[in-house]
Amino acid sequence: MADKYLELVNSGFTKKLAATLGLPRPAVLRRHVPGAPLVPGVVLLLGESSGAQALADVLLGWGLEVRRHSAGQERLGAIILLLDELSCPAELSAPMLLAGSALRGLVPGGRVVSFSRPALATDAPALAAVRQGIDGTIRSVGRELRGGATANGIVLTDDLSPVVPSALAALRFLLSGRSAYVDGQFLTISTDAGVAPEQQGAPLAGKVAVVTGAARGIGAAIANTLHRDGATVVVVDVPAAGDALAKVANKISGTALQLDITRADAGAKIIEHAISRHGSLDIVIHNAGITRDKLLANMDAARWDSVIAVNISSQLAMNEAFLAAKLSGLRVVSLASTSGIAGNRGQSNYAASKGGVIGMVRASAAAFAEAGGSINAVAPGFIETEMTAKIPVATRTVARMLMPSLMQGGLPIDVAEAIGFLASDAAAGINGRTLRVCGQSLVGA
Amino acid sequence: MSQAAQSIRPAVVIGGNRIPFARSNGAYSHASNQDMLTAALDGLVARFGLQGQRIGAVSGGAVLKHSKDFNLMRESVLGTSLSADTPAYDVQMACATGMEAIGSLANKIKLGQLESGIGGGVDTTSDAPIAVSEGLRQVLLELSRARSTSAKLKALSKFRPRDLAPNAPGTGEPRTGMSMGDHQSITTKAWNITRVAQDELALASHKNLAAAYERNFFDDLITPFAGVTKDTNLRGDSTLEKLASLKPAFGKNLGAEATMTAGNSTPLTDGASVVLLGSEDFARQHELPMLANFVDFEAAAVDFVHGAEGLLMAPAYAVARILERNNLTLQDFDFYEIHEAFAGTVLSTLAAWEDADFCKNKLGLDAPLGAIDRTKLNVNGSSLAAGHPFAATGGRLVATLAKMLHEKGSGRGLISVCAAGGQGIVAILEAR
Amino acid sequence: MSELSTLILPAAPSLGSLYATAAAGKLRGLLPGSKPAARTVPQVEHRLESLPINRQKLVDYQRLMGDTVRDELPSVFVHGIVFPLAMSVLVRDDFPLPLLGMVHLSNAVTHLAPIAPSAVLTAVAHAENLRGHRAGTQVDLLVEVSAGTELVWRSVSTYLARGVFLGERPSEEARPHQEFTHPTRTASWRLGAATGREYAAVLGDYNPIHLSAPSAKVLGMKSAIAHGMYLAGRALAGAAPHGTGYAWEISFATPVFLPSTVDIAITSALDKTEFSGWGSRSGKPHFSGTVTPLA
Repeated sequence: MADKYLELVNSGFTKKLAATLGLPRPAVLRRHVPGAPLVPGVVLLLGESSGAQALADVLLGWGLEVRRHSAGQERLGAIILLLDELSCPAELSAPMLLAGSALRGLVPGGRVVSFSRPALATDAPALAAVRQGIDGTIRSVGRELRGGATANGIVLTDDLSPVVPSALAALRFLLSGRSAYVDGQFLTISTDAGVAPEQQGAPLAGKVAVVTGAARGIGAAIANTLHRDGATVVVVDVPAAGDALAKVANKISGTALQLDITRADAGAKIIEHAISRHGSLDIVIHNAGITRDKLLANMDAARWDSVIAVNISSQLAMNEAFLAAKLSGLRVVSLASTSGIAGNRGQSNYAASKGGVIGMVRASAAAFAEAGGSINAVAPGFIETEMTAKIPVATRTVARMLMPSLMQGGLPIDVAEAIGFLASDAAAGINGRTLRVCGQSLVGA
Repeated sequence: MSQAAQSIRPAVVIGGNRIPFARSNGAYSHASNQDMLTAALDGLVARFGLQGQRIGAVSGGAVLKHSKDFNLMRESVLGTSLSADTPAYDVQMACATGMEAIGSLANKIKLGQLESGIGGGVDTTSDAPIAVSEGLRQVLLELSRARSTSAKLKALSKFRPRDLAPNAPGTGEPRTGMSMGDHQSITTKAWNITRVAQDELALASHKNLAAAYERNFFDDLITPFAGVTKDTNLRGDSTLEKLASLKPAFGKNLGAEATMTAGNSTPLTDGASVVLLGSEDFARQHELPMLANFVDFEAAAVDFVHGAEGLLMAPAYAVARILERNNLTLQDFDFYEIHEAFAGTVLSTLAAWEDADFCKNKLGLDAPLGAIDRTKLNVNGSSLAAGHPFAATGGRLVATLAKMLHEKGSGRGLISVCAAGGQGIVAILEAR
Repeated sequence: MSELSTLILPAAPSLGSLYATAAAGKLRGLLPGSKPAARTVPQVEHRLESLPINRQKLVDYQRLMGDTVRDELPSVFVHGIVFPLAMSVLVRDDFPLPLLGMVHLSNAVTHLAPIAPSAVLTAVAHAENLRGHRAGTQVDLLVEVSAGTELVWRSVSTYLARGVFLGERPSEEARPHQEFTHPTRTASWRLGAATGREYAAVLGDYNPIHLSAPSAKVLGMKSAIAHGMYLAGRALAGAAPHGTGYAWEISFATPVFLPSTVDIAITSALDKTEFSGWGSRSGKPHFSGTVTPLA
């Protein structure tokens, strides 16, 4: 699974050679390391909106060094752009140019994060223009950044302040190494719900989480990450994958539940196991999925139907069971895919299921919110797994480098971090959304 | 329940795990007993979240064991995610090894000596120990004792080329030189068990096991191993015609009267199984399920060496004793798990229980124990279909029966396992 | 019975030299069909003052028979160590029957008490009861073993010299043909071609008819045959009690040609254990006997 190319162009002789030849040099991404600082340098907070001081205070409270207007020659870890109170496109100029002049000081693995408001059909045209413009400009900054730095945005609905719990949780996530492969994305905060964790190092402490498809790949990484963040994890996979599943469970002191999630009683089995064995069910990660790729022209019913059954129908059925059980504060995170957004040749069935996930979470949000819960999706792009390791080397290398801004494939941990964030109570204000973890792949814009 | 049993606390079957059983020299050819047992334990640990826990004791064994495996259970435990502070010891009672291990752990739990225990067993006939010949062994032993060069040369001079032929373990009874199948063929004939009856029992075993897989019964009883997800001996599509076409494999000296074939006899199999037992307190504290109480068990042995009884008939005697002790009749059970060493073994045992002479003269009873409801027999298949890795069968039976009882929600079940050496163990479980 | 004179042997004779003597006797013309030199057995008993008990051989014997190694001399092991003494009677010049080719018909042993390997044993042997048989002449060989003054072991072996007749030939009684129906098998012995050599290596009886097919053929056998005492030893390993005296007897019906598989029945009744062996393939009876513990 290791990206040999990435290793070669970043070390010793081959690093020099790659530079001389002008080969693209994807950076080693800044990923989360327990105990490491949240931001690798000072934070430059730009923008004059009314929430600026409150936000600066929060950042200081997090132990960060905060600068307004300019950071001079200091190592710059992040640039935060408060753009939530702009009223017309012309007002973008000042903060964006300030940010531009500071970009050279941004360290590798640095972050640009904007705060803005959604552009709505009911907005005045100029207001909608600046708000939609922020979307375009931040994504473009993401494309411009090098050295594993990323640019993302937080979108505050209605009149939510930048310091509502979920906005702060989103900011922490985007500033941290947890969001290493999230680039050019916007996280929309719908409510002021959410509570910051008691311990930032264990945001899921005391939670019981179920991860389906957890025997290997992204599912195993999710299970590891949720465990690392303090959750008790029930790992689920088909009985035939039970040996690999047991290894995952034993590594994270969880319990293994061998279960075919397409069974009608799968939701009930999961609830029964979690509650009888661990006392509650707080988090469900719908990760189980299969691919049965074929051009539509050659597609057969078995391929189409099995993908739909496993990837989306099972989730719909399980969600009904979870809702019927009225589990308080249940956070569901479902695995979508950039294929479900931008499409992918040979994956008409898979894309239908993954697009389906995006629609499902959007349409289920209200129902889950009723019991204090939420449901969101994460759409991974090209992730290096055992499955992708089987793609021929040349194809794989091209897919990694040419498509995303970050010029490399993501790792399962990158998906897992995004899921862990959305599954946390601090993110309760985010509901019905899909977050892409794709390194700002061209796929799906 | 006897007076003694009332005054002690229950031992509870929490659950079990096994790896799929595989026919000898097949999928597990390169797996050792320790590999398989470790996998079975790891699956159990994962199912019940026992990582890092100190279990009271892990007990079990293997019938065919390498000398390097002198501490098989402990070595296996050290390879799992259980706490390294978990004591473990080996038990051996031929095919009843698993039952003896589990039953004895249950007793310790009942007495309050243990809060939890894992019992089970493992066997491989693929990775079986092969010993050097007795001649070579003696030469090597003498060589190791020799101090002087001349003594060493003298020891070496005793070596003969024929000593190079190794000794592989057989399944023959040491005292009779007869295979278990040949022994059973005598019993089968003595009880007039027909070929058709044996084939029907074998067919039912395959059909029942296949149906159990079909309804996901084994989802929480089996963890795959080495790419195997189902017992490889299972032939769900078998038919009476196919079984009838097989040639006799045992008791061939009976000529036309020989009835035992590879189809109605258990093949050599590799596999491992374990069962988690605990006190009620233990189960509650760890939020673990309580499937059934392990009520009682009884061992018996018969004198087959002097022809007094068939080699595999000991359970018939043990059942009479355990019924009396627990004040039960043979009909007081909702499930019967009778290990199918051979179809003939099961049918001979059933016939004996129905036989007035046998029950009077051999069991000392006033009336026969009587017939059982055959629809309650091995309802999820048994050894003829699943296979029989000797020491692993007890764990399979206890876990299977406990789950069946828990699913039903009431009632009790009887387990019967025959073993080499004219032995056997029977046990009673009660639903919770 | 007249008084026997006693010949005290200085040491246990070697079986090899005894067989050589016997072979020489055969060459002298004591061929089957010829008349014996004498019509009575010698009125002498041979006596050996201290029987050699080799503990390693005892262990080897117990292993060979599949018995537990323990500090008791098995009955057949005793038979083995007194056999050279018995043979010395049979090879006397004045013994009326030829040794080689003689057939062992039966044995009856009273093993009066357990014998420790450390026991100092004396043995005395003589022949008696020379009598006719429809196939030749039979004779009993008595051996008694004492520990100190206590008689601990007494054996009567009956041998048949086939085709050797003393005076009148007994009339051919038409024996009713008996269909042999064997009892229920309780064991099977797979006897390899080396069975005779293994027994010889332990108890020193290198009788050629047991050793190999070629050596047996020299003596008119179609193949090597299992030693009768080996068969008895195996049966007793499964049937004889320990820690008490017992009586046993065995009679031989047909020889066990090597290699072969012998099916066995050992059945315990109230007061005794019966055993028998027959050809697994042929179904022909080979031997049968009983063991009776002495209360």
